[in-house]
Amino acid sequence: MSARRQNQQQRTDPRLKKCSFCDKETLYIDYKDYPALKPYIDYFGNIRKRYYTGICLRHQKEIKNAVERARFMAMLAYRK
Amino acid sequence: MVSYTPSSEDVRLYEIAVLFPYPMNQKEEAELHKSVEEIFTEAGAKLIFKDAWGRRGLAYKIGGFNEGTFIIYYQEMEPKRLEEIEEQLRILKGVLRHMVVKPPKHYQIAPYADSYEKWKEHSRLEEERKNQEREDKKLKQVVEKAKRSQTRDKKPVEDAKPAVTGEALTQQLEKLISDKDLEI
Repeated sequence: MSARRQNQQQRTDPRLKKCSFCDKETLYIDYKDYPALKPYIDYFGNIRKRYYTGICLRHQKEIKNAVERARFMAMLAYRK
Repeated sequence: MVSYTPSSEDVRLYEIAVLFPYPMNQKEEAELHKSVEEIFTEAGAKLIFKDAWGRRGLAYKIGGFNEGTFIIYYQEMEPKRLEEIEEQLRILKGVLRHMVVKPPKHYQIAPYADSYEKWKEHSRLEEERKNQEREDKKLKQVVEKAKRSQTRDKKPVEDAKPAVTGEALTQQLEKLISDKDLEI
């Protein structure tokens, strides 16, 4: 039984994930800062879910704002 | 890094990003930049900082252009004059996109053009390093595999060596047969 459990894909406990922006105490996520936004966007240009990245709701909303601004200015793609 | 404090209560900081098309006459470009800056001066705005990004690829085509240049103006002005500027920028020919953002309190104005280039260079080097590592690993694997196959081929030959052949074999056989002590 235990071996079978080990073979299954291991997923980290969502409760253990920490918001990387809260650690750095960022107050504002800038839409011009492409390197900061890149990890939160997937291959197709969608914003990654909070469940997978572990970001807090407040910073997720800020990321959404920043990404939408960057998309309008053609720094990020709407759809790849 | 430039920190900003408003000079009076009637004004505040605005961040205006303007996107220009890239392949353009130098003369036309200079004129366009001038006309954009004129719009700001007409509205009574005061330039705090200007961040000109160089040539940059666009994520999607705008007006037939695949590349553009960004200029980010940090202007201090009255909120009621903003509408005027937005309208003027919207009408102006040659401006692909523009956006006005209200930066939050205690916003640190920083030039992003250099940091982006640095990041790009760094990521490129990182990618190269990773590729090199991967290739090295593959090469090692191939060499090890070749070594292993060589030793495997050699082993049976070594085993066959001690066997006696030819005249020595017949001599030994005769010796055995002629041995009288042996009872078969």
